Amino acid sequence: MSAEPAALPTHEPDAAFGLHVALSAVVGAAVTVVWAAAGAGDFWARWVWFGLAVLLAVHALVRRVVLTPPRPGKAYRTALTVLAAMSVVDAAIWLLSGAGAFWPLWPMIGYGVLAATLSAVVYRHRLPGSGARELVERVDELTRTRTGALDVQARQLRRIERDLHDGAQVRLVALTMQLGRAEARLEDAGDELTLALVRGARDEASAAIGELRDLARGIAPPVLADRGLEAAAEALGRRSASPVEVDVVLAGRPAPVVESAAYFVIAESLTNASKHVPGAQVRVTLRDEDGMLVVLVADDGPGGADPGGSGLTGLRHRVEALDGRLTVHSGPGLGTTVRAELPCGS
Amino acid sequence: MRVVIVEDHALLREGIVALLREHDVDVVAQAEDPEGLLRVVRGHRPDLAIVDVRLPPTFTDEGLRAAIQARMIHPPLAVLVLSQYVEPVYTAELLSSAGTGGIGYMLKERVGDVRAFMDAVHRVAGGGTALDREVVAELVRDRDAAEDAALERLTPREREVLTLMAEGRTNAAIAKVLVVTGGAVEKHVTSIFQKLGLPVAEGDHRRVLAVLAYLRATG
Repeated sequence: MSAEPAALPTHEPDAAFGLHVALSAVVGAAVTVVWAAAGAGDFWARWVWFGLAVLLAVHALVRRVVLTPPRPGKAYRTALTVLAAMSVVDAAIWLLSGAGAFWPLWPMIGYGVLAATLSAVVYRHRLPGSGARELVERVDELTRTRTGALDVQARQLRRIERDLHDGAQVRLVALTMQLGRAEARLEDAGDELTLALVRGARDEASAAIGELRDLARGIAPPVLADRGLEAAAEALGRRSASPVEVDVVLAGRPAPVVESAAYFVIAESLTNASKHVPGAQVRVTLRDEDGMLVVLVADDGPGGADPGGSGLTGLRHRVEALDGRLTVHSGPGLGTTVRAELPCGS
Repeated sequence: MRVVIVEDHALLREGIVALLREHDVDVVAQAEDPEGLLRVVRGHRPDLAIVDVRLPPTFTDEGLRAAIQARMIHPPLAVLVLSQYVEPVYTAELLSSAGTGGIGYMLKERVGDVRAFMDAVHRVAGGGTALDREVVAELVRDRDAAEDAALERLTPREREVLTLMAEGRTNAAIAKVLVVTGGAVEKHVTSIFQKLGLPVAEGDHRRVLAVLAYLRATG
């Protein structure tokens, strides 16, 4: 029984258990002394030792159960331990009472049947359970890798945008400057034909710069990339034809991919509002709620918007790709509310 | 006119410097970052700073912030911000910044239109305004979406004149662009101010501010 504490899941010294062991030892020793003083006949003190040991074993078992963190199968394992302990107790009683015919066989068979039934029940339930757990793990993994992939994609897009800005765009701008200077000289020289050619070349270069600019803006509008969602939402509000109120409480900057999605939800919803309910007051709200970025765009118009419209469907796909949810409430007379919930990532 | 250029791309910086020198503009200093601009402004007290929006270290809007700060240090400093994109928010911040000098916000490729660019440089250095037509177009386009009654009352010609006014051009410059007489432009301008209910403003800068204030306030 002295080996029992070592088997505990924790090796921290337990004062109560130590005291119990010491007390048992003292009582046992005292009884043994009494037995010796009374003439050392039949060693009846063995029953006292046995009782003390059973109490210690129960204490140890209870302590182990309490200290084991809850996890699947804990109750099952505890039940098996109790059955095994009862077998040991039966065997000990048989041994102490003279080791005659091995009667503990019968209760042990009973314990065995009980343990087998228990195991059968538990495994029957656990098999489909473990399948479900695997599925949950797989979904977790897929969600993680997809978000990761989207995030990497968003970062790459922003890097491409920056490379365009610092590479091709700069060269094209330098080109227009040089062409412009050539134009000025040709004007002075009066070479009209060459001048027209050079001017045409500069117009082409300017058009290319314009196209690159539109491309970059589609990836991430400058104000969003530079200053984040709050500034971008306010800029959208100011530029909207509808009166817009912007209310933002965010702890930090969400991942770029989430930021972009939220931005386009706001932009598209504001465009819809000014198109379908001109003059209606619009309120844009951004909040962190339990690891979700919640975007609300609500107007006080007459409601009745079509949630299946192509703009909203595009937004829904964008949001759902991030494992978010987009809902539209537009009851007659209640205005229209677009609500997007986006996992903040990380 | 004493000018400082702040641009981190050497290719562009040298291009602008060469262009300005060809037009007898005195480029007193060149810088690559916001610190450089502030140092030059404290030391040289230039008349005009031509500043790129995106500058180190984060390459976002440092140039704009630095320009606004430079105007606090040296209020008569005129600022012409060059950018590869139009951002109305930044235009608004620049226009509402402290300082008495002129203000410009233009797309970088406009530098290639040498005459218009030099025109803008002189206008801004002289205390006027030069806004890129894209900025103005965006403001007016947004107004169109609202089907604003007052703007609707403007004739197409008046609309053209309004856009050129918002860019910061004088009546004489507008007359040249539209190939009409100065008197005709004056008539259009008076009509526009009346239709929009704007107080008649003296001076180019105030005129632009009045137009922009109208476009923004009713937006």
